[in-house]
Amino acid sequence: MTAMNDTLDVTRPLPPLRTVSKPFWDATREKKVVIQYDAEVGKYQFYPRPTSIFTGRTKHLEWREVSGKGKIFTYTIARRARPPFREHEPFFVAMVTLDEDVNIMANIVNCSEEDMKVGLRVKPFWTPLSDGRNLLLFEPDRG
Amino acid sequence: MALHDAAIVGFAETKIVLRSEVDVWTLGAQIMEELLERTGIEKGEIDGLVLSSSITGAGNAFWSQTTADQLGLELDFCQTVDIGGSSPIGALARAAAAIDAGYAKNVICLYADTAVVESGARGRSFSEEWCSTVGYLGPPAAFGLLTKHYETHHKLDYRALGKLAVAQREHALRNPLACEKLRVPITVDDYLNSKMIADPVRLLDCVMPCDGASGLLVTSRKEAEKRGLTKCVVPIGYGERTNFGAARSVVDPTETGHRAAGEKAFAQAGLKPTDIASFHPYDDFIIAIMMQLEMLGFCKHGQGSDFINETDFLWTGNLPLNTSGGQISAGQAGLAGGGTNLIEGVRQLFGEGGERQVANTSNALVTGIGGIPYGRNWTTSTAMILTPNA
Repeated sequence: MTAMNDTLDVTRPLPPLRTVSKPFWDATREKKVVIQYDAEVGKYQFYPRPTSIFTGRTKHLEWREVSGKGKIFTYTIARRARPPFREHEPFFVAMVTLDEDVNIMANIVNCSEEDMKVGLRVKPFWTPLSDGRNLLLFEPDRG
Repeated sequence: MALHDAAIVGFAETKIVLRSEVDVWTLGAQIMEELLERTGIEKGEIDGLVLSSSITGAGNAFWSQTTADQLGLELDFCQTVDIGGSSPIGALARAAAAIDAGYAKNVICLYADTAVVESGARGRSFSEEWCSTVGYLGPPAAFGLLTKHYETHHKLDYRALGKLAVAQREHALRNPLACEKLRVPITVDDYLNSKMIADPVRLLDCVMPCDGASGLLVTSRKEAEKRGLTKCVVPIGYGERTNFGAARSVVDPTETGHRAAGEKAFAQAGLKPTDIASFHPYDDFIIAIMMQLEMLGFCKHGQGSDFINETDFLWTGNLPLNTSGGQISAGQAGLAGGGTNLIEGVRQLFGEGGERQVANTSNALVTGIGGIPYGRNWTTSTAMILTPNA
């Protein structure tokens, strides 16, 4: 089994600042996971959208803080990458299903290839971006 | 009037190359010339142009107009179709609709892209914000994610996927327009032993980016008959679905819009999967072929491996598959690449398959895949059923 790279030494590109997702990124400064919730249908959505993907209406769309805990929905091992991730392979890129039933794409850290599996419980792991925001990654929830 | 009142009276394609030595518009001019020569239709009679997406042209918001002007075309109907790799088939559907609506009589569908030598792409999607921060490689990573999901929840026999790769490669050996680098035989073991790119996606699962062009000349059946172009190909069923699962937060990535697109195309054509004489599915990754076999109803969801093991996909077999090699073994001409699958279906029905001519030319099923959304499968699924003019 190959050792996985945690990608924590990568100087990541800054995500562009867009008005739609500002509450999500602002919350990452305090290491909080804040995602959109449609109060009319009682469902969460991710990534942030300009409207409810369920109803097409904005009036019941709000932002709610969630624990960020969830489980691995599926994953891949990146053996090839473009800069700035080149030379940091292999690393995990996974889709994580939060307990609130949304999928988020992220790297998984502190996890070996043997320990990785679909369904593995994970919790947030924050890595700093250069402008004070933090990037949401995940690690196995062994607690 | 309906879809089946349209007629494809000519087809053309260039050699697929690793890097184009000529301009994208030169490729377009070559395709147009071949279509005019073949059909005897004069340039001045062309009144419609429908382009596929083109990475080379992606930075030009006036792409179809500019391209038409390069070719000296004065038109009544002009547009670019921007549903990614689905756009060559989407362009044919839109050309037929434009003819049906009376907007144009003689329409060139032109698919040209030289993405390798000249990319005009500039991102404005979810990807810069939600994917580039985690080293997501785009399509190979997306297919790694969905393959792992498939492998976890269903039976996945990688030797069966290898069988598809080998069949397509056998076909590329018989296609002089396929990229030369790919015209070498492979075995199932070569497939299995090719290096991992994004586990469980291997190198021989992936398309190789190339440059090239293809096109069709579409008119009405009535017009075709008037001109004596009775040898032509007729579209008899079409389905298109964009953003399967868009209104759900968690979507099984092994289910796709091809189920809905296929049902519509088959119903319109009055055919069922067992009637299909040859199958030319969009192939950006090998597993996409298996997923389409499932979603289009050749077999049940999750049983693709067994179906593949029981089926002969060679040009001499019971379900000939991508008989020009598909994009994986002929090369992917950027966002014009879907033209490779489409043109081969048309070519077979014209009886011009050469060394790889299939015996049963009663119909052909061609498909498209376009775009990769956030953590689902692909964005647009299309299915088109063609028959020779009976």
